[in-house]
Amino acid sequence: MELKICHLFPDVLNLYGDRGNVTCMQHRLQWRGIDVSVQGVSIGQSLRAADYDLFFIGGGQDFEQGVLLKDLVGDKTAQIKSAVEDGKTFLAICGGYQMLGTYYKTWDGDQCDFIGALDLYTIGVKERMIGNYLFTCDDLDGQTVVGFENHSGKTYLGSGVKPMGKVLVGNGNNGEDGMEGARYKNVFCTYSHGCLLPKNPALADHILKTALEHKYGRAELEPLDDAIENSAHDYMERRLRAHGK
Amino acid sequence: MSVLACKGARLAIRLLGRGGTDLPGRVALKICPDLLRQLAKTVTTVIVTGTNGKTTTSRMIEQSFIDSGISYFANKSGANLISGITAEFAMHSTLGGKCTCPYAVIESDEAAFKLVSKYVQPKAVVVTNVFRDQLDRYGEVTHTLDNIRIGLKNCKGAVICLNADDSLSASLAQELDNRIIFYGVNTPIYKSRVEEVSDAPYCIRCKSEYVYDYVTYGHLGGYRCPKCGYSRPTPEIAVSEVLSSDTECSRIVLDCGEKTYETTVNLPGGYNIYNACSAMAAGRAMGLSEPVVAESLSKFSCGFGRMEKFEIDGKSLRMILIKNPAGCNQVLNFLTDATEPFLFVACLNDRAFDGKDVSWIWDVDFEQIPAMGELLSGVIVSGDRAEDMATRFKYAGLPAEKLRVIKDYGELCKACLAQDKPVFIMPTYTAMLELRTTISKNYGFKNFWE
Repeated sequence: MELKICHLFPDVLNLYGDRGNVTCMQHRLQWRGIDVSVQGVSIGQSLRAADYDLFFIGGGQDFEQGVLLKDLVGDKTAQIKSAVEDGKTFLAICGGYQMLGTYYKTWDGDQCDFIGALDLYTIGVKERMIGNYLFTCDDLDGQTVVGFENHSGKTYLGSGVKPMGKVLVGNGNNGEDGMEGARYKNVFCTYSHGCLLPKNPALADHILKTALEHKYGRAELEPLDDAIENSAHDYMERRLRAHGK
Repeated sequence: MSVLACKGARLAIRLLGRGGTDLPGRVALKICPDLLRQLAKTVTTVIVTGTNGKTTTSRMIEQSFIDSGISYFANKSGANLISGITAEFAMHSTLGGKCTCPYAVIESDEAAFKLVSKYVQPKAVVVTNVFRDQLDRYGEVTHTLDNIRIGLKNCKGAVICLNADDSLSASLAQELDNRIIFYGVNTPIYKSRVEEVSDAPYCIRCKSEYVYDYVTYGHLGGYRCPKCGYSRPTPEIAVSEVLSSDTECSRIVLDCGEKTYETTVNLPGGYNIYNACSAMAAGRAMGLSEPVVAESLSKFSCGFGRMEKFEIDGKSLRMILIKNPAGCNQVLNFLTDATEPFLFVACLNDRAFDGKDVSWIWDVDFEQIPAMGELLSGVIVSGDRAEDMATRFKYAGLPAEKLRVIKDYGELCKACLAQDKPVFIMPTYTAMLELRTTISKNYGFKNFWE
């Protein structure tokens, strides 16, 4: 078996260690003898979505956003949208998550249009939502995920999109409805940096399995020794449940 | 009155056996918010700000003041917010509010700088660089730059020393009427560099991608924008050659225009070559004798976690403070030059002064450490977030048998001394304070505020 990962805008959307997610997926496949390749596609490079099985999009800072949006218009947007509809697997974090939605409106009313692959939108607020947080993941029978959120956008989901889970400690999508992240077909969106996948190995494997099953019909992943990863997860879960930060 | 309160508070805290570098200033500012302006009025001050290298650069400037026979004071122990700086001025003032010292070397946190510069009118300001740092506090790197910009605009009449090789901070020059001294490094520093994420790949003016003639580290180097023409300014003070560098020091050639100076930088690591160059620029801004400043670079000592060396039971421990990916990658660049086997220790805390978000460890090229093979005798991880650090090393390819998690600092020190290799300890800020306390308590080293 082989998985082809596309890392979108790796040199621009790289603000909070998000590339560790790609490192994590690579290793977890290699440790099981599954071939993996990673290709970065950035500004000015063309994207052939059909060449890949799994797409990763990280978070970025406002400064580069203008450059990026100009590049996205047209073919890249069409490629990403059809890949989503075809059931390709996506993991999008923070800025990448917002970008898959329809638009972002700043707190003073300026609107910029995004890819629109998912029925969700984001409204900017002045106060950033920052801190370690804890949420449940519906795909993992309610197992918990730990991470670090840092966003000034409040994201609201439309009717066709489900949340990834419920917030136990922290803000999540908007700090209002208790929801975190978004799920649509094989797209996984979350605000969680941290870095997310290394210390949430069950979620990492679930995403990899989703991509492999889409490609090969069925796939089983051998269990790995996740003692170190789980100790990082459990430390933060204990701390958040005890102290809330 | 507030000066008295400040001195009283610090004395009380010291008697209780704690550092007391920040709280006394907070007490004084409560009583008299304008205190700092009054105290700083008669003092000739140099302010050092920027993301990385503030403390080391300040120590280098201090040494140049000592060697120039200048009587000064400095905020020594990393108390670089408005409260700590006010406290330092108060401690060197009469109870009537007159400063008793003619000069000051002040390190200012880059976010606090815009406030500090409202009250203190410096003769010179050194901006070391702008890197991604503690983003949970500042949001993003351009916000850090904005804070420094606001601060510099407060500094009318000051000479501003800017890093020519940093496209972010160098861009501030065009908005300032001040005399600017650019400093920089004209040559690559490292034989091989770690893989790094650039904090500024796109032009700060027009957002096109920069082209580089050479990179020293991170986003520093000879950049130019092919579209709008913004490019590295020619530095007035430049390192034109790195003659040698090892784990103790670097030999460099400083090109200061009419004269060149060959000197030793008394700390290893490429980033300290930048610090030396900025201290040289500060010397020119302050009107000091250049040969004296160049010579002082070989004499200064830093301590306080900046490549600080402890000798315990004949074993050598070096402590290297880390704060962010750029700084941490430079430490790795330094370590990968090592020629003798060593033990590596990383202590990761996530309190306010460390940065609450530990995600950045995934932006650091820790893969270089396991790649050193036999030169690496092992890795010990510690600190509040030791488990995150352990996970990072696992995914960096470190074999499980070379990795240990020891959260207790007493036990950590014992483990370091129970083996015979030199130890390089990389702690975050609060981890460094705790570790130093443990070392001073168990092995008799002096406390940090002394």
